[in-house]
Amino acid sequence: MLVATVVGNVWATKKEESLAGLRLLVVRPFTTDGRESAETIVAVDPLGAGIGERVLVVFGRAARHAIGRGHEIGFQSAVVGIVDRMELEGGRTVGMVAEEDEP
Amino acid sequence: MFLGRVVGQVWATRKVADLEGLRLLVVEALDEAHQPGAPKVTPVVAADPLGANVGEHVVVAFGKAARVACGGDGDYAFEAAIVGIVDDFDVPGAPAHWRLDETRLARRTEGGA
Repeated sequence: MLVATVVGNVWATKKEESLAGLRLLVVRPFTTDGRESAETIVAVDPLGAGIGERVLVVFGRAARHAIGRGHEIGFQSAVVGIVDRMELEGGRTVGMVAEEDEP
Repeated sequence: MFLGRVVGQVWATRKVADLEGLRLLVVEALDEAHQPGAPKVTPVVAADPLGANVGEHVVVAFGKAARVACGGDGDYAFEAAIVGIVDDFDVPGAPAHWRLDETRLARRTEGGA
């Protein structure tokens, strides 16, 4: 499971049947050293997260289970939580969005 | 499974039902280099059924092993869990940042844990 920031949406009309009706987000993994990760991940979102929000992302069977359509479905990452707050050592606090962060 | 260090905790109100009541800790793997210019440090969020604290070293398991560690062999919507709190380890040549926090180690030993 990772913490990531939602950076965008993806729409695809022609897609794997099992993905029908699911919302797809582009998320960028959170890094503890403050530098932006170059990696982005596309995750199915059953919760309705918005751009800029920090989310919890799971992979594989856990992701398919989170969506509740059985395990024979064509994706492997899903948003399972929207972060209220994350406390890191040294007193650093990470909020739901970057504006709520405290160094 | 990997050896990591707990660096924080995360809370989420809006989440899928499977995550209800789970303590979620932020863990940095000890195999990541921390030098300038090194790859980014992306921490893992792991369910914690054992009660680890920030600063402690832990063993994190993935996949079904993680779900079993959190009760039964059920399907849950997470795939990483803390399955051990490290008392001590011996890895010759390990970098300095792997060192255990001595004060925490002493406290745990005194407590007879």
